[in-house]
Amino acid sequence: MKLESHADRAANLPEVVLQVDRLKKVIGKKTIVENVSFTVREGEIFGFLGPNGAGKTTTIRMLVDLIRPTEGSVSICGHQVNRNPELALSYVGSIVENPEVYSYLTGYENLEQFARMQPGISKERLKEVAALVGLDARIHDKVKTYSLGMRQRLGIAQALLGAPKLLILDEPTNGLDPKGIKELRQFIRSLADQGMAVVVSSHLLSEIQLMCDRVAIISRGKVLASGPVAELIRNSSSYVAWQLVPRVRGEEALRALGCQLIEHPGEVLDDALLTGSMEGSILTEMREEEIRELIPQLVKAGIQIQGAHKINPTLEQLFLEMTERESIE
Amino acid sequence: MRALNNQIMGLVQNETEKMIKKKRFYVVLLVLLVLVPVFSYAQMKQAESKREKYGTDWRREVQQAITDNQNSLGSDRVPEEWKKYRQVYIQQMKYYLEHNVNPAAPGGVTFTREFLDNAATLFIPLLIMGLGSDIVSAERTTGTIKMLLTRPVRRWKILLSKLITLLMFVSLTVLAVFVICYLISGMFFGYKGFQLPVFTGFRLDGASVDLSSVHAVPQWKYLFMQAGLVWYVGVVVAILALMVSVLVRSTAASIIIMMSSLIAGNILTNMASAWTSAKYLFMVNLGLTDYLAGTPVPIEGMSLGFSLIVLGIWAACSLIVSFLVFTKQDILN
Amino acid sequence: MGKGSRVWKITGVVSVAATLMLVCGFAYAVSDVIFPVPPDTGSAGLENAASDERQVAPGNMDVTAVGDSLAKGTGDDTGSGFARAVSELLQKQGVDSKLVNNLGINGLTTSGVLPMLDEDGVQYALRQAGVIILSIGANDLFAGADQMTGLPDEDQLLNKMKQAEERFVKIVEEIRKINSEAQLVYVMLYNPFSDLEEVREQGNRIVQEWNQFAAAVMASTGQGLAIPTSDLFTFNAGRYLAEDHFHPNRDGYQAIAERIVQALAVTTVSGEERK
Repeated sequence: MKLESHADRAANLPEVVLQVDRLKKVIGKKTIVENVSFTVREGEIFGFLGPNGAGKTTTIRMLVDLIRPTEGSVSICGHQVNRNPELALSYVGSIVENPEVYSYLTGYENLEQFARMQPGISKERLKEVAALVGLDARIHDKVKTYSLGMRQRLGIAQALLGAPKLLILDEPTNGLDPKGIKELRQFIRSLADQGMAVVVSSHLLSEIQLMCDRVAIISRGKVLASGPVAELIRNSSSYVAWQLVPRVRGEEALRALGCQLIEHPGEVLDDALLTGSMEGSILTEMREEEIRELIPQLVKAGIQIQGAHKINPTLEQLFLEMTERESIE
Repeated sequence: MRALNNQIMGLVQNETEKMIKKKRFYVVLLVLLVLVPVFSYAQMKQAESKREKYGTDWRREVQQAITDNQNSLGSDRVPEEWKKYRQVYIQQMKYYLEHNVNPAAPGGVTFTREFLDNAATLFIPLLIMGLGSDIVSAERTTGTIKMLLTRPVRRWKILLSKLITLLMFVSLTVLAVFVICYLISGMFFGYKGFQLPVFTGFRLDGASVDLSSVHAVPQWKYLFMQAGLVWYVGVVVAILALMVSVLVRSTAASIIIMMSSLIAGNILTNMASAWTSAKYLFMVNLGLTDYLAGTPVPIEGMSLGFSLIVLGIWAACSLIVSFLVFTKQDILN
Repeated sequence: MGKGSRVWKITGVVSVAATLMLVCGFAYAVSDVIFPVPPDTGSAGLENAASDERQVAPGNMDVTAVGDSLAKGTGDDTGSGFARAVSELLQKQGVDSKLVNNLGINGLTTSGVLPMLDEDGVQYALRQAGVIILSIGANDLFAGADQMTGLPDEDQLLNKMKQAEERFVKIVEEIRKINSEAQLVYVMLYNPFSDLEEVREQGNRIVQEWNQFAAAVMASTGQGLAIPTSDLFTFNAGRYLAEDHFHPNRDGYQAIAERIVQALAVTTVSGEERK
């Protein structure tokens, strides 16, 4: 562990905060999670993406010692969660699923509760955190009277209380309105900018795409892919929408040149993308280099090219490809 | 060590705050404030009708009670266990008469003593169960357990703090029962009677009573002893409730489990004398104050020492189970 | 934190104090039950405090009944028996009277009464009374007998009766020792088998003999009365006997009570005249 962090420093990489190594969980005879490994570094927002029931929550719970892994290990800032939970968890703030707080206490009393569970949290820190999430005006009201968004913010406040190095948010946008989601996104980004490592799990791919630097995609208990969001997208093939005149000859020419045409674009792309200017275009799937080779050949064949639009795949497509169209919702 | 103490202290403070803010203890106090006057009033009515017949002459009343019980001894319809019970009662009452001591001198203190004798096996355990049986399961039902267990605190410390808090409230409940009983019944019967003598030390040998160790104690001392025994019962019930609360996820289920086993105990003590191995069940052993009063035991072979050990073993096993399960358990929901 | 921490402090301190106290109580109780202190002089002191025993005021007509099922009132559906009936009848006549205690116990024999008379409670109840009603003997003579088996043979019975008579004398003496002032009323026996032809004769003889003896004993004691009852049941068994054909019913008890009151009335009036 130590060696690694020295090596990191030498390579000028930020320090590893969370190291997940070959996690496996078997409940009864069922393997819920298998061979899940990833690392999260300082200042990084890491997305954990997968449909419901893919093992996301189980993995998140193993990170914070709610579930004991059958195999593998989780270490936080160099401390194994299983062996030394008190030390390891002192670096973590988390919300697992919903931000469950005591509704018969006030927001402030809730924060006091959590403050007493870790050393060195001053009254000032309580107030500071309450202000940070914008709850200071109602912090002395009973949580019963809070809206879902306010509870969410209280949850974040308690997670931030101990100034954690690692923040774990399980489905943080659940129940928030679009404005709230945007605010949360900005807030998380600002935390990361201050050097915090953040793990966000979600089944909403667009969220992850907007929020995260790196992502691991999990399905049926296994990590299908992981890496920087941009890199994952670059490595996958993109779609090209051709607007050719005349359309029928264009189609023939593309086929003749060995292109794969997509008969039902609605199945792979959002319909909204294909309306408007791109109405009636021919959709193909190819790598970026291929486009450049194709254009002169089409011109040679006497086909007029009115437009060739490259459409970058969203994570959604990526995900659909990987999970063989497994239902997301 | 200091740090550990501070940490546990903080956790206990948390649990105490939750217990108070959940208003559980207020409910206990409320129940007492409503029920004790009801019992006091009923008792007063009963005392009034007796006074009509016997005036202030308690000796005649006690003698009549003896005669009535003697009469029922001759009846074949009365079950043998009841006869034993009545024979013992007769001998005790005779002892009181011989020593010219009123076994039930009216007064707030006597009321408290009698109330405690009746409340020890069901009423107080129920109150304590109400405090304890959701102490863990409520955290699971509402999901706050996740917040609790993702803190940098070992799980056994969390459970220990819950246990300590529960025991604190057991003491407070027992204290509250005494204080409220005395204060309220005092309004009906007067606040005197701390110095009145009560006999204890009746040793039962079948249907006969060994009087060699009977001695009088002032009523306040008797109350003091009663409270101690009731407290022990309360602690055991609290520990059992804690275990059920750890094992069962739903609050409602854990309350039902505790409640039915307590009530089953009460029923069993009334009819289980033939089934002697029932004496190893905890619920049959809750009547510790009976040993003080010299009431016959529900099942042959029971004694204070026996009951204390049985209850102690139950409590110890529940503690072991509670801590093992709580520290190992995966929180899946 | 002000209020919250104050509540916590109070709760903490009170509960710790209460726990300490309760633990002490527990330890004390356990040691007291398991290793009891032998009775000390403390309880002797209590006995001394007990001697506020007053003698009955003259003219007191409070009733204590002692003896067998008849004294108790078995067979009377209202449960009062002649003891309460006597007290009520006296009240109707304007005499201040109450039932002190009904000490009747089903199945009591002469040998059962004797130890009872040593008991403090019984002595106390007897001392409180101006009228003591005694009913005893039937169980000595008719014990084990019922309408099916009839009566045991003559010799055995006579032997039994002799012993019972001795004890009866003792009982009367004892009662007199406890309370020499009160009027002592003995309710004499009746033949419960008068409607059974086979044993009627024998029963009558025995009852007659016993009653004669008892009447003599009562006559020899001061303030003693023997109330005959057998004539009530000779021809009116159906009217006065309960369903068990053994005990009187409500009317039977009432009839006995009236006789007692009639017998008492004389002394009452004279008592008032004395005033």
